[in-house]
Amino acid sequence: MSHAEFAAAHSEASQHIEQRWRTAFESSAIGITMADFAGRFFAANSVFRNMLGYTESELYQLTFLDVTYEEDRKANQELVRELVEGKRQHFEIEKRYCRKDGALVWVRNNVALVPGIGGTAPFWFAVVEDITQRKEEESAHRYTEEKYRLVVETASDAVISLDETSTILLANPATTRVFGYTPEELIGKPLTMLMPEFLRKLHDTGFKRYVATGQRHINWQGTELTGLRKNGKEFPVEVSFGELIQDGHRVFTGFIRDISERKQAQRAIQNAQAELARVSRLTTMGELAASIAHEVNQPLTAVNNNSNACLRLLANQNLQPDVLRRALEEIVADGTRASAIIARIRAFIKKTPAEKNRLDVNEVVREVLAMMGHGFEENRIVVQSELAEALPLLLGDRVQLQQVLLNLTMNGVEAMTAIIDRPRLLWVQSRIDESGDVLIAVRDSGTGLGLEADRVFTPFFTTKANGMGMGLSISRSLIEAHGGRLWATPNFPHGTVFSFTLPVDAESPP
Amino acid sequence: MTRASVVFVVDDDPSVRSSLKFLLSSVGLQVEGFESAETFLQRKPPDAPSCLVLDVRLRGLSGLDFQRELAARNIRIPIVFVTGHGDIPMSVRAMKAGAIEFLTKPYRDQDLLDAVRIALERDRARREQEKDLTDVRQRFESLTPREQEVISMAVLGMLNKQIADQLGTAENTVKVHRSRAMEKMNAQSFADLVRMIEKLKGSAEKAS
Repeated sequence: MSHAEFAAAHSEASQHIEQRWRTAFESSAIGITMADFAGRFFAANSVFRNMLGYTESELYQLTFLDVTYEEDRKANQELVRELVEGKRQHFEIEKRYCRKDGALVWVRNNVALVPGIGGTAPFWFAVVEDITQRKEEESAHRYTEEKYRLVVETASDAVISLDETSTILLANPATTRVFGYTPEELIGKPLTMLMPEFLRKLHDTGFKRYVATGQRHINWQGTELTGLRKNGKEFPVEVSFGELIQDGHRVFTGFIRDISERKQAQRAIQNAQAELARVSRLTTMGELAASIAHEVNQPLTAVNNNSNACLRLLANQNLQPDVLRRALEEIVADGTRASAIIARIRAFIKKTPAEKNRLDVNEVVREVLAMMGHGFEENRIVVQSELAEALPLLLGDRVQLQQVLLNLTMNGVEAMTAIIDRPRLLWVQSRIDESGDVLIAVRDSGTGLGLEADRVFTPFFTTKANGMGMGLSISRSLIEAHGGRLWATPNFPHGTVFSFTLPVDAESPP
Repeated sequence: MTRASVVFVVDDDPSVRSSLKFLLSSVGLQVEGFESAETFLQRKPPDAPSCLVLDVRLRGLSGLDFQRELAARNIRIPIVFVTGHGDIPMSVRAMKAGAIEFLTKPYRDQDLLDAVRIALERDRARREQEKDLTDVRQRFESLTPREQEVISMAVLGMLNKQIADQLGTAENTVKVHRSRAMEKMNAQSFADLVRMIEKLKGSAEKAS
């Protein structure tokens, strides 16, 4: 082979290699670009062009800084400087490009400064990988983790993680609010320190059995249990547990909610419902009494009419025997009817016997005041109670005494609803009176009874527009059935005081 | 008085109703009983002095609603209420709406009989007054238009001469109209005539 032939062959071979390089460059699955020393692009494969959305000619008008997202330029320039100064051979950077359409693309670039050969200037060579998708996934993951952390940190429930030995691994800030311990005081300690004695053994055996066999000793969703605060107080909690495997270990995470308030509200609702039933029983008794009065009056009226008619005819000597017989028959029938009604009332009363138990009357007062809370609020009534401490117990029917107190306080409230020129004050007092009986007084600053004070206890007497006039007469008979007295006196300067006494249970300790 | 007065007892309690009938008839009153307001309303209104003895608590239409219903139908029958259990507002309502009496059972029989007598007397007086008015109106309507004109002006205090001038007729003609009208109206004196015309005017005003 001649020299010329060799040169030609060599040239052909090198051309062939160049061609292959060019093809590889163009069809690479990764972005490749070259820029002159000043940073202006002079070569870019299709992956890179597509990444940025520019045509070849558009791209060659730009420098790499032009397409680098503003926030990432400084870091990029710093690395470029280090490379130029010879401090490093190449660098790697994760940064954002700004596409022609304005969208951002996350990339990882491997950049080298290719030295000049034979008088040619050095140039930049970069391999560019689009990592937008990975970045988005990372960010989503970070966001999710952050979200969960935030939920746990700000949760109002205590969130506690345990290992397989029921030792506390983690506790959120709410744990302090719920249990009184800081997370630091709890981590590394057994969970049983947050439960009262009686639950500890149950928990330990149950938890061990679960870890060993997978058999749960409690429902893991919303089980009501008892918690123990740092100050030693027990309180109701609702517990939900979840389990996950982390680095080959089982981790249990519990959500523990303080349900004291909810329990209290439930109790209040139950109480209120029970009271409502009692009040409606009282109302029913009032209505019943009224309808009894009406029913008894009917036959009595008929008896009177028939008798009077007979007397009148007799006076005129005009009473025929058959007329008299018919009248007498009707009188007998009406008499029978009246006694049947009375018998029915007796039967009704027997159905509701008094249940006398030893009770603290202050408790009854507090129950009634709590029950009336809404009514007080609604009518803007200020309630003051002055209950003597350590009152002796008495023997009484709780429901009946509640009825009486409810009746008196409701009367007090109603007497004050029209008052606008002074405070609406309801004052309830309990004490031992001069004869050693328990005395309860309900005082209002209402309109007062004036001359009616003596009549309010009469059945069917009422000062109220919609009143039946039965409340006080029933109340008085209930108190008298307890061996006490109920009376009314004017309050100074406004309103009325209703007072009743109840004898103390002789067997009760003083 | 053309017919005997009658008392209507409306009470849903049969023994009260029958005893009331017995009591009222023992003093010679004519009595009819009804078990409800509805059955009473089916009856033709009586053409005789009458009154109602009514229980407030009736099944169906209550006593007070019944009272209102009667007023709405322009049946002006006096009412004596009786009730087993009435409160003050109830009785006030009944009395304001024109009841004669509001008695609570058991009442004194004399109180009931007195109330019934007052009610019947009031109804009789009202009927007579109405009848009187009807007579006067019929007589006035029997006058010729000119006679009506003349006496209408005369009762205003106009002299015969003034009436003649206004109607464009002779004073003597006016005198003739006047004396004929007096005769037809059955007026004993001019003052009597004035009273009759006033009564007619009064009822016309009331009606309008």
